[in-house]
Amino acid sequence: MPTAKDLQSLGDREVVALAKAGKETAYRELLRRYERPVFSLIYRMVRDRALAEDLAQETFIKVLNALESYRPEYKFSSWVFKIANNAAIDQLRRREVDTLSLDGAPDARTPDEVEATALQATDRHESPLAELESRELGSQIEHAVGKLRPEYRTAILLRHVEGRSYEEIAEVMDLPLGTVKTYIHRARLELREYLAHLRT
Amino acid sequence: MTDKQLDAGDLDALVLRELSRLPVFGPSRGFADRVVARVRRPQPVPVVLLRRAGAWVLRPSRAVSLAAAYAVCVAVGLRLAVPWLTAHAPAFSFVTSWVSTQAKAALDVAALTVASWAVELGAADAIHSAANAGPRLWAALAALTIGYAACVYGLRVLLRAPRRKDALASAL
Repeated sequence: MPTAKDLQSLGDREVVALAKAGKETAYRELLRRYERPVFSLIYRMVRDRALAEDLAQETFIKVLNALESYRPEYKFSSWVFKIANNAAIDQLRRREVDTLSLDGAPDARTPDEVEATALQATDRHESPLAELESRELGSQIEHAVGKLRPEYRTAILLRHVEGRSYEEIAEVMDLPLGTVKTYIHRARLELREYLAHLRT
Repeated sequence: MTDKQLDAGDLDALVLRELSRLPVFGPSRGFADRVVARVRRPQPVPVVLLRRAGAWVLRPSRAVSLAAAYAVCVAVGLRLAVPWLTAHAPAFSFVTSWVSTQAKAALDVAALTVASWAVELGAADAIHSAANAGPRLWAALAALTIGYAACVYGLRVLLRAPRRKDALASAL
């Protein structure tokens, strides 16, 4: 039986095959690979940590329970993000959510927790002042992303935060490639408008 | 950085750069455990079929229909079987008595074979001598019982240890 370490060197398809055979280590490996990107996407969509956690949990339960229906010709990541995005969009349709600050994780209660979960700028080799400005900028961008339409938000997050290809985003969102490109272009224009004050 | 004048291109580049630097958030501790606990593991095909059949049968409307069908089958079967058995009672009793005689004879032969084999092997003598060595037999039985109990207790302790460790880890 492959160990957790062995599984790390395997591709998604091989790990999925082992998960289909009921191997718990394979389930955990898939969770290890995708829990953070999926949670981040949902969190930035619904902007409520507890809700995002519930939706991420439901997403993974749905994914892992439906592995038999997964078709290997599609990328596993696309399938997971598609289910996560649908869960987030459904939730947004059901209720309007408040925007909140992402300077630190919303459940951070002490200054230390806020510091630990805030935007990371330590690897940029910038001066403390530049770091502070950059962190402030990141917060403003988070707010600007929160103002985008949900479809634009998904597209821009998948493209520029998760680094997914246009083709994969089209698969995730079930849209033609051209529409995805248009969404991302418009999202960038809107972000530029929201952040226009930075030019002055 | 934000103090200086930025043109549209600079701003776009800045936005894209900052987007790629946004932090990746993670769910709370124990997220994977909670998910795995709620995932249905694949089961062997016969188990799945049995479960599906059970679920199918146990639907109230189907259960009533199946019970009614079963009752009808039993009634019809009895209606046909009882007159037939009554009409063929002598033949039926002859067959039953012949089968029971044959079975009894076969059992007698088997018992005799086992007994003669035991005598040939000297097992009867061994049992006889063991009965005479009462204290030693009791001592052996007592040792066996104590050993068994010790093994059971040891296994229980060994199986309990990781649970305590898990409880401590989750408490932390």
